Amino acid sequence: MTAAVLPAPRPVPARRTSASLPAQVGLEVRKSLSTRSGVALVAAAALLAPTAMGVAVASDTEYLASATGPVVVTGMLSALVLLALGVLSTAGEWTHGSVQTTYLLEPRRSRVLTAKALAVAALGAAVAATAALLSSGVLAVLEPGLPFAGRAVLVVAVAGAVFALVGAGVGAALGNTPGALTGVYLLNLGVLPLLQVFKPALADSIDPGNAVLELAEGSEQVQSVTVLAVWTAVALVAGAVMTRRRAVQ
Amino acid sequence: MIAVTGLTKQYGGRTVVDDVSFTLEPGTVTGFLGPNGAGKTTTMRMVAGLVPPTAGTALVHGRPYPALPNPGAVLGTLLDAAAVHPGRTGRTHLRLIADALGVPASRVDEVLELVDLTSAGGRRIRGYSLGMRQRLGIAAALLADPPVLMFDEPANGLDPEGIRWMRSLLRDHAARGGTVLLSSHLLGEVEHTVDRLLVIGGGRIVADGPVASLLGADGVAVAAADVGALARALTAAGLEVAPGSDGGLVVAGATTAEVGAVAAAGGHVLTDLRPLQRGLEDVFFSLTAA
Repeated sequence: MTAAVLPAPRPVPARRTSASLPAQVGLEVRKSLSTRSGVALVAAAALLAPTAMGVAVASDTEYLASATGPVVVTGMLSALVLLALGVLSTAGEWTHGSVQTTYLLEPRRSRVLTAKALAVAALGAAVAATAALLSSGVLAVLEPGLPFAGRAVLVVAVAGAVFALVGAGVGAALGNTPGALTGVYLLNLGVLPLLQVFKPALADSIDPGNAVLELAEGSEQVQSVTVLAVWTAVALVAGAVMTRRRAVQ
Repeated sequence: MIAVTGLTKQYGGRTVVDDVSFTLEPGTVTGFLGPNGAGKTTTMRMVAGLVPPTAGTALVHGRPYPALPNPGAVLGTLLDAAAVHPGRTGRTHLRLIADALGVPASRVDEVLELVDLTSAGGRRIRGYSLGMRQRLGIAAALLADPPVLMFDEPANGLDPEGIRWMRSLLRDHAARGGTVLLSSHLLGEVEHTVDRLLVIGGGRIVADGPVASLLGADGVAVAAADVGALARALTAAGLEVAPGSDGGLVVAGATTAEVGAVAAAGGHVLTDLRPLQRGLEDVFFSLTAA
C-alpha cells in the first residue's frame, strides 16, 4: 500500500444521476456473463438443443413431416436451462450477498428487478433463438428438404425469454439459489409431468411447455399466450413483492 | 454529512436500535463503538437504506439515501467485505461498480493500486484472503471519491501495516473535508483514528462526544516527597484524597492547577502531578456494561 494514502485531490467525475434503465440492463447482462457459471449456462443452453436434435434425428429411422415439433421440443431443453440463468440473476445475488452492492448503487428495488427482468429476457431470447437456429441447421444437414421452421424458432426465442423471466421471478421471491432451483425444476419436471398422468386436461391447460408447442403449431393461440403470460406475471409479481419487503442483512 | 434522528428498529417485539440520534459533520472521523449486537451494523444499514427503519430518519447530505440521485457517489460504504460474487475477478467487480456509478474505467486501476491489489486484480475473489476482500471493499467505496465514508469494522483481517494505512486514509479523507463514520471492535484502532466517539449499547447511544472529553480527567494523580503531609494539606483544602498506585495520591474531581496550588502554598515537593486519564477500554466497558 502506498504511504501517501490518497493521491492529489483530483476530482473523480462521477455521474450526477443514477444510471439509465438501458445502462442498468446492460450492467445486468454483463453481470450474468461475468462468471464462469453464467457463461457455462449460456453455452449449455445454446448447445443443448442442437446436440439433442443431432442425437434424436440420427437415431430415428423415420422421415420427419415437419421441422416445427423437433425444433420446439429441443428448444424447450434450452429454455429449461435458461430457468437457471434467471434464478442465478436474482437469487444468486441474495445467496452471495452481492445484492448489498446492487442496492447500495441503486436503492430503488423495483428498478433493479425491472433491469434484471429485461436483461434475462433479452439474454434468454437471444440464447434460445441461437439454440433453435443451430438445431434447425443440424436438422437441415441430417434431414435435407424439410422447410425452415421460422415460426418455431421465433416461439422458442419467446420461450427462452419467458423461462428466464420465470426463473428470475422465483429467484427474487425466494432469495435463495438452491431453494429456487429446486422449486422451479421440481415444478416443471416433477409436478407437471405427474399432473399430466393424473389430470391430463388440467396439465395441458397450465403447462408452459405445452403452451409453447401449441403456439408454434398455431393452435390455441390465445390460451397459450395467456398461460405463458400468467406464469411470467405470477413469478415476477411474487419476486417484486418479496424483494421490496426483504431486508438486506 | 449524516444526520440521524430517532432511528429505531424493531424485529418482532425486540428493539435492536432504540431512538438513535447523531449528526456527523464534514472534516471529522467519528468512531462507532459498541459490543456485538449493540446495533451498530443495523444502524449503518438503515443509514444506507438496506434495512427499513421502524421509526426515525437518516439523511445523507440532506436526503434519505435512496433519494440521492447517485447515492454511491455520495456515500462510500463498506458494510460486509464478504458480500461479493466469489466467481468474479476483483477488477471485474470494480468495473461493474464503476459503470454503475458512472466513473471512468481508469479509476478502477487507480483504486486497485491505492489498496495494493493491482497484481491480484485479475484473480477471482474466492481466492482472496479476508484482508484482500476488505481492501477490495475499501477500493469499491473509494471509486467515486465520495464525500462521506461509512465503514463497518474495516480493520478486520488487515495486517498492522494495513491498519496503519487505513488510519491514514480516513484521517486524510477528513482532512480534505470528508465525513467518516467508522465502527470497530478494535478499541485501540478507534482511539488513534477518530475525533469523536459514539458509543452504543443495547441499541441506545450511551455516550457521544470528542475522544478527549470521554477519556478526559476525572481527577488528578499526585505524588510528593512527603505524601502524608500533602494528603493532610489537600484534605484541609476540602479536596477528596485517596491512596493511589505507586504510593501516590488520587484527588478525585480536582484539576492539576488546584492540587498544584495547595502544594505550592504548603511548600510540598511534588514528584508527580498529572490528570488521571481513563483508557478507552475502561470507558467502553463502563458505558456498555448494562
